[in-house]
Amino acid sequence: MDFSFLRGYYVYFFTGTANTVILALFTVFLGVIIGTFIALMKISRNKVLSFIATAYVEFIRGTPLMVQLFIIYYGIPLPVPDVTILGMDMSRFIPGVMALSINSGAYVAEIIRAGIQAIDRGQMEAARSLGLTHSMAMRYIILPQALRNILPALGNEFVVVIKESSIVSIVGIADLMFNTNVVRGALYKPMEPLMVAALIYFILTFTLSKLLGKAERRMRSDD
Amino acid sequence: MIEVRGLHKHFGKLHVLKGIDASIQKGEVVVVIGPSGSGKSTFLRCLNLLEQPTEGEIIFEGINITSKENNINLYRQKMGMVFQQFNLFPHLTVMGNITLAPMKLKNLSKEEAEEKALNLLRRIGLEDKATSYPSQLSGGQKQRIAIVRALAMSPDVMLFDEPTSALDPEMVGEVLDVMKELADDGMTMVVVTHEMGFAREVGSRVLFMDDGKILEEAKPAELFNNPKHPRTKEFLAKVL
Ligand SMILES: Nc1ncnc2c1ncn2[C@@H]1O[C@H](COP(=O)(O)OP(=O)(O)OP(=O)(O)O)[C@@H](O)[C@H]1O
Ligand SMILES: [Mg+2]
Repeated sequence: MDFSFLRGYYVYFFTGTANTVILALFTVFLGVIIGTFIALMKISRNKVLSFIATAYVEFIRGTPLMVQLFIIYYGIPLPVPDVTILGMDMSRFIPGVMALSINSGAYVAEIIRAGIQAIDRGQMEAARSLGLTHSMAMRYIILPQALRNILPALGNEFVVVIKESSIVSIVGIADLMFNTNVVRGALYKPMEPLMVAALIYFILTFTLSKLLGKAERRMRSDD
Repeated sequence: MIEVRGLHKHFGKLHVLKGIDASIQKGEVVVVIGPSGSGKSTFLRCLNLLEQPTEGEIIFEGINITSKENNINLYRQKMGMVFQQFNLFPHLTVMGNITLAPMKLKNLSKEEAEEKALNLLRRIGLEDKATSYPSQLSGGQKQRIAIVRALAMSPDVMLFDEPTSALDPEMVGEVLDVMKELADDGMTMVVVTHEMGFAREVGSRVLFMDDGKILEEAKPAELFNNPKHPRTKEFLAKVL
């Protein structure tokens, strides 16, 4: 094993890591927005909305992420600008983030729905019996309590996205996996660059999990 | 104050309320008794439309609240409800529980709402719990706070669904005392309960429900000492 190549190639790992984190941040942010809407649609009394939301979640969870990525990248001609920001080609980055966040949104929707439905029915009834409207009850009573269940699970979703996002390297987004392959190709070394990548992924997800665990314990001890 | 006419409720195929007519006058304490599953809770929850009646009308203060044109949220503000399981909001303090609805719905300022809450808390001797969270209270304290939370909206009528059934025996008394005081102050109340002592002492009228119908209604002394319907006799023989 020889890691001396790092001296010349560390920049690849560095920018790759940065891009992976940026990709994951955008994905989780958009995924939470999509997931919130889908979750609210799913629990709404409107049968059409709830059917659409259920179909979305089932379809996304029942098909491989790679297929979803290819459909969006190759199958749907998006009017994306051909510009490069922070060393990332937007015509690849935007469809990549879209595919990831559409995918993550389905999982986030389930996290949010489960978090809301875990709240005892009596809470909504007590709120409504006081004369609060459905949306006030949601906002002041149900969602604040649901958030306690949702936030830790969302943290986990972030960890998952960091790992899963490696798949976008196949459409040429310069994330950590892509840059690792670049180094591999340049050096004809099969193993060492992959070990570096694995270690970086692990450090990212492990640190994040630990931080989340701490935050969660703090939140629980608040009450 | 409340008129119930031809009330039916189905849960899917299950026919739970089978034609109920009742009227509740201002200042009355109407106690509802009956065997488990007879539809007492469902009847009570239809009064403020927590359950949507399948058929029939609820007239509250002269207004048909079952009609779709009327905004039920406005009428619920005037009908306080107390639940068997308390249903306090665990993420809010006692003060937050009591002041939320008055602030959001009656546009009271925080100061006004808190002052009113403190007055109510003083009446039940729990003003020192204002900053506690529900998880720090005993069952009896929780239920008294739940009563105060409903009272903070200054309702015209209070609905109680077995308010003492989830309590340890030694805490039943403190909750019944608060309810008694409320009755003495002239509050209109509908109380579903298994506390026959309370029914006898505080009730102005007792309704006996069985199998989705009101089988008998009378003043407590009469209903307890001289029940007319064989089902009432059978039920009272079991619980007294
Ligand atoms: N949301 C619901 N969905 C389906 N069935 C229900 C629902 N709520 C109540 N029921 C059924 O309706 C019937 C009457 O219930 P209800 O709670 O009104 O009885 P109750 O007289 O209050 O009994 P208890 O003394 O046990 O509280 C029961 O058979 C119950 O299972
Ligand atoms: Mg009941």
